Amino acid sequence: MKTVFRLIGLTLMITFLIPPSFSMADDEKAREIMQKVDDRNDGDNQTSEMIMTLIDKNDEERIRKLSVFSKDKGEDTLRLMFFLHPADVKDTSFLTYDYDDPDKDDDQWLYLPALKKTKRIASSDKSDSFMGSDLNYSDMTSRNLEDYDFYLKKETQVRGKDAWVIESKPRSKEIIDETGYTKSLVIVQKDIDFVVRAVNWEKTGDSVKYMDMVKLEQIDGIWVGTEMHVAKKKGNQTVHKTILKFNNVKFNQGLEEDLFTVRRMEKGL
Amino acid sequence: MKNIRNRIEIQFSAFARKIYHHRIKTIFLMLIAIGALLSQLPTIEIDTSTEAFLHKSDPALLTYNNFRDQFGRDEVVIVALKPKQVFDVNFLKTLAKLHTELEENVPYIDDITSLVNARNTRGEGDLLIVEDLLENRPKTAGQLQMIKQRAMSNPMYENMLISKDGTFTTIIIRTQSLSSAGQKTDIMEGFDDFDADIQAPAGTKRKYLTDEENTEVVVAVEKIIKKYQSDDLPIYLAGSPAVVHFLKEAMMSDMQKFMLLAILTVSIMLYIMFRRISGVFLPMVIVILSLLSTISLMAIFGVPMKLVTEILPSFILAVGVGSSVHILAIFFHRLRKTKNKEKSIVFALGHSGLAVVMTNLTTAAGLMSFANASVAPVAELGIFAGAGVVLAFIYTIVLLPALIAIIPLSTKKTETLRKNNRIMDKVLENIARFSTTHPKKILFVSFCIVAIAFVGIFSIRFSHYPLKWLPETSSIRVATEKIDKELNGSMSMEVLFKTNRENGLYDPELLNRIETAGKEFVKISNQEMFIGKAWSVTTLLKEINQALNENNPDAYTIPQSKPLVAQEFLLFENSGSDDLEDFVDSQFSMARLTLKVPFVDGTLFDPVEEEIAAYLNKNFADVEFQITGLVALLAKTFNNTITSMAESYFIALVVITLLMILLIGRIRIGLLSMIPNLVPIILMLGVIGWFGFPMDLFTMMVASIAIGLAVDDTIHFMHNFRRYYELSGDPEKAVFDTLHSTGRAMLVTSLVLSVGFFIYMFASMQNIIRFGFLTGFTIITALAADYFISPALMILANPKKTV
Repeated sequence: MKTVFRLIGLTLMITFLIPPSFSMADDEKAREIMQKVDDRNDGDNQTSEMIMTLIDKNDEERIRKLSVFSKDKGEDTLRLMFFLHPADVKDTSFLTYDYDDPDKDDDQWLYLPALKKTKRIASSDKSDSFMGSDLNYSDMTSRNLEDYDFYLKKETQVRGKDAWVIESKPRSKEIIDETGYTKSLVIVQKDIDFVVRAVNWEKTGDSVKYMDMVKLEQIDGIWVGTEMHVAKKKGNQTVHKTILKFNNVKFNQGLEEDLFTVRRMEKGL
Repeated sequence: MKNIRNRIEIQFSAFARKIYHHRIKTIFLMLIAIGALLSQLPTIEIDTSTEAFLHKSDPALLTYNNFRDQFGRDEVVIVALKPKQVFDVNFLKTLAKLHTELEENVPYIDDITSLVNARNTRGEGDLLIVEDLLENRPKTAGQLQMIKQRAMSNPMYENMLISKDGTFTTIIIRTQSLSSAGQKTDIMEGFDDFDADIQAPAGTKRKYLTDEENTEVVVAVEKIIKKYQSDDLPIYLAGSPAVVHFLKEAMMSDMQKFMLLAILTVSIMLYIMFRRISGVFLPMVIVILSLLSTISLMAIFGVPMKLVTEILPSFILAVGVGSSVHILAIFFHRLRKTKNKEKSIVFALGHSGLAVVMTNLTTAAGLMSFANASVAPVAELGIFAGAGVVLAFIYTIVLLPALIAIIPLSTKKTETLRKNNRIMDKVLENIARFSTTHPKKILFVSFCIVAIAFVGIFSIRFSHYPLKWLPETSSIRVATEKIDKELNGSMSMEVLFKTNRENGLYDPELLNRIETAGKEFVKISNQEMFIGKAWSVTTLLKEINQALNENNPDAYTIPQSKPLVAQEFLLFENSGSDDLEDFVDSQFSMARLTLKVPFVDGTLFDPVEEEIAAYLNKNFADVEFQITGLVALLAKTFNNTITSMAESYFIALVVITLLMILLIGRIRIGLLSMIPNLVPIILMLGVIGWFGFPMDLFTMMVASIAIGLAVDDTIHFMHNFRRYYELSGDPEKAVFDTLHSTGRAMLVTSLVLSVGFFIYMFASMQNIIRFGFLTGFTIITALAADYFISPALMILANPKKTV
């Protein structure tokens, strides 16, 4: 299954190795749609500027700007992010190796300029918030289709385009613990195999996250979501919101692999 | 004055006659009116939540609501386990199983924490590890030892997840702060309102977790831990949500059970006194109708029943029985003489109608003086009990004559009744003789007793300690006391620092001050009250700073540069982040300092809070701060209430004095009549002081009933004494006549009610036991005061004269 974050185009397509004899408890049509979503070309060697607006329950805003670089390495994804704003955290940077192998924890390095130290971060929990936003790490990394059951619920329209509504349910408790979601609804725009909306039910706190890709652009022939709204709700009440925007999205920037190293990260932009 | 009274008495007689003649019409109209009122009864709500003690507009409640909107519920359910050995492979397996079972089955959970998923942040070389403590279940002794070392060395865990000596470990359950009731179901609508302001428009705001939901949580937890509990593994359940639940259960069951018992004993007593079914039936009809009508009134005004208002039935019982028995005692006595129902009821109403009006008026006025109390249910009790008194009065003077008119009544005297009456007459005769012949001796002895009681008043201590209401063996009391002792407290107080600017908390100097404040507060104590632990965002910073510095214990400090603070926060937001929102707002403008406190007497909180406030005033002049949290909030409110109630009582006494003067028509006699009013109250206070009873909300309530009943007796005595004195001009004869007429009714009422209240002494809750004892005791002393002190005073104050 393509994660919402991947739809934005930051990560590369990952090939799924599903044994052909795998018996499906879910419906085939839904799985076929999700497979197509997963197979869609989402580009490589990408650079962009990410602007994250965090809105808390008091309607107070915080803005964070990051410069993002990403590259595919085989089936894995390398990603480097530098903080541009706010000033106190400028040059703080994150480097991630997102491995395709589900048994292998992702690698993450963090450089704190105030401490002049790089730390490798070991954490297998992906349900924690990404940079204080309403997205979590599992939203950023790839999920394996065989970890889920898919059910086609109905057809709908989103902003005038035909779409499928598919329910996805994790097959094991481990997946629920890792992603923090007990189930999701994904809405796939039919003509471009793109997840334009998703609803995720959180394991703890009785909250639901609404993700809405409000702006889609075709850049170098690749569909990219350049603005996403995420709202975390408890019942009827919104408790937090995130607006995620991508500027200057460029593909095929010929990024070298040695850009994605600790040494490069410590040097700053 | 005499003429006015005569005229009123004549009118009461005329009224009784009219009702008697139009009995069917009267009963029909009353049934319609009462029926309409009672039709609202089923809509009565019950709210036993803790916040229900506060008025909705109370500023302290608004501060607290803002706090929980930001940080969630501050109260937690604590499950404490005492295994043979905490760091044991099998026990940790059990703990994990229990943790999961609770997480999956207990409703409305916001967060559940134990050693299983406790955040463990540490550095190993260049590796920064943020994981659950038992992420990898230990299998070997070496791994177990390592886990133990990590757990025991983590200051955040200490007394929170594991006791300092390592013998207790806990599972902490935090529930959601908002209710789940009435949420919409069409999930897709959630996409529609992204651009709307987050702040919901007024009125659409979700309710806070309800009392029923809280109960669901505690019941679910209790059910699960029962499966795990054994002699080898004692499990204790505590925390304020649990205390509230068990307290409510115990109160409801005791109050309901003993209310019924009280009605039963009162009925039996009425039968013994009157020896006829109608003597039970008539007062009970009045009492039950008054009670149901009062509750219906509450339903109509949308006021739910609360813990304090549970006392209402007892109150209505006392007042309703009092009013109707005073009329009936005269009536039955007369009926046997005249063998005529109509004449008898006309006489009885003429005789006691005015006194009943006055007793009800003074009682209602006394109650209404509570209407301004800052604790919501106390104010409501004042208003509705006052209304109930008025209803009881109306039913007494309207329904009683009509019912008497339609039911057949025997006019014969039975042998037992004759014997009864002979004994009663003899007793009353002796009392009258004694009090008229030894007035000075009586007053001297009374003065001595009152003086002794008065000394006791000075040792009265105010208190609000609901835990001690429960029996010593109650599981929640045992658990709370255990956890308070072993884990340094089971409740929390909150201090909120508001810089009012974004990233205000990046300032290391401010963080240092918050850290120091926490350390200073832990030194504060006041008798059993202490602050067992203090933690805030600085605890997180120290933890991450140490982990970033290769776990060096010397680096367990707050970083001293602003960018480093900012970057460590960012790191935290990124790796264990969800915990951060428990400590600061997302703007980093506001920090919460949580102080762990034991469940002790609420009055001990106040001095501690003042000490904290003084420290904050001195050291945080540049920052806005608030002290909040439910425990602190309530302690403060109760303290205010107790003093404000004392004031209410003073006002009530002034009002009653004025009414007495008005009733008697003479200032001097009116003031004198306050002596028999005050004596029982001073005696009651003396008992409270000498016996070391705590002066809490419940004891305060006793006083309201006590004042009402003491004043009633005095009014009945004074009213009749005046009448007979004016007839004969002989104070001695007037005392004899008074005791033989009204004195009989007073005896019946007092005996019936005192037994009805003494029955509460068999309850399981200490506060209810004391309530029963004190009320019964006061009823007896009030009667004694009007049998001895009032006659003595009247003999001395009124000369013999010829009419």
